[in-house]
Amino acid sequence: MEATINAHMPGLVARVVAIEGEQIAKGQTVAVINCMKNELAVISEYEGKVKQVLVKEWDEMDVGSPMIILDLGEVK
Amino acid sequence: MLRVINSGIETLVEDWPGRLGYLGKGMATAGAMDNVALRFANLLVGNPPGEAGLEVAGGYFEAEFGVDAVISVTGTDMKPAINNEAVPMWESIKISKGDILKLSHFGEFSFRAYIGVAGGIDVPFYLGSKSTCLFGSYGGFEGRKLQRGDVLPFGRSSKELDSLAGRKLKKEVIPEYAREWHLRAIPGTNTSPDYVTEEGMDYLFTHAFKILHTSNRSAYRLEEIKDVNFFARKDGGDGGSHPSNIVDHAYAMPGALNICGNTPVLLVLDGPTLGGYMCALSVIKTDLWKIGQGIPGKDFAKFIPSTQEEAVEATQKQGALFCEESLE
Repeated sequence: MEATINAHMPGLVARVVAIEGEQIAKGQTVAVINCMKNELAVISEYEGKVKQVLVKEWDEMDVGSPMIILDLGEVK
Repeated sequence: MLRVINSGIETLVEDWPGRLGYLGKGMATAGAMDNVALRFANLLVGNPPGEAGLEVAGGYFEAEFGVDAVISVTGTDMKPAINNEAVPMWESIKISKGDILKLSHFGEFSFRAYIGVAGGIDVPFYLGSKSTCLFGSYGGFEGRKLQRGDVLPFGRSSKELDSLAGRKLKKEVIPEYAREWHLRAIPGTNTSPDYVTEEGMDYLFTHAFKILHTSNRSAYRLEEIKDVNFFARKDGGDGGSHPSNIVDHAYAMPGALNICGNTPVLLVLDGPTLGGYMCALSVIKTDLWKIGQGIPGKDFAKFIPSTQEEAVEATQKQGALFCEESLE
């Protein structure tokens, strides 16, 4: 089972914190969006393994833009 | 009082017209970015129009009420809900102690929502205003944006709460939000022919400028000026090497359009009061609220030529809206 972590604000990707294959905990910061000259953490609502990182630094995000796909089936 | 559960992207205590009289000391006015939405929020809950409310930029604000109250939510549609039940916007709503208000993110159009509370948000006046100046770190609630766990007291309502619930704005006075925001503006102080070519001024008054992500309560940065012979000078003379440079001078704040290099920057409520860039036009006071609803990275700003006479008339006309006659 998969889940997608989406951007919660419009802005530019400042950093991608998560890397493919990494185990992510619920509440963990997976990326950072720069909006209104603020750095806004993108928090995972799920626990799972990063299957695919869809974005890179400076990519432009809208609310709901997909950023990271998690594989929920591999939660240990 | 309310207790903040989730402070959201940027939630501030703001009133209107903010902190007046201190521009000469370098202090911005601050105040609600969309003062129209704040003033309607206050009207709905029986407050004076300029009373302090909450300005929610972007969204995701959530709070629990510690007392019975009457509130209103105006501005962008963040899908407000009380105890997970959707509640209407542009109306006053009765709140019971223990209720939880939750906002989602900004709607299809516009960016900021306002929460009015009967009695107002009871933070101390600082130099005559309750507004937060975010970049000066003063005013409002401890001079900063709200954080989880903050407790905000309310003032005493001048009317009985039961008499305030269920008040609605007439549909025709609810502002229309847009993707392209039209801001009436007056040329100057640095304009054609000395600083900007006629072609350049035509460009400023015809082009729809995309609002950049780097916009905030200090300034709204707009897309670069390009493909036009904009500057009338080769350089900034004593002011600097770039033709957008001038010797430092006071800005007509808020609402001056700075030209910083090739980037137009609309200086707004927490913005600087002076500097060394030319100001090609000033947005009229009545229309400045629109930029506060512009969605960074998505919306556009277009400047429409205006005059001082039109600006004065527009201010009077707008001010007349915030009265009981605007309610159903």
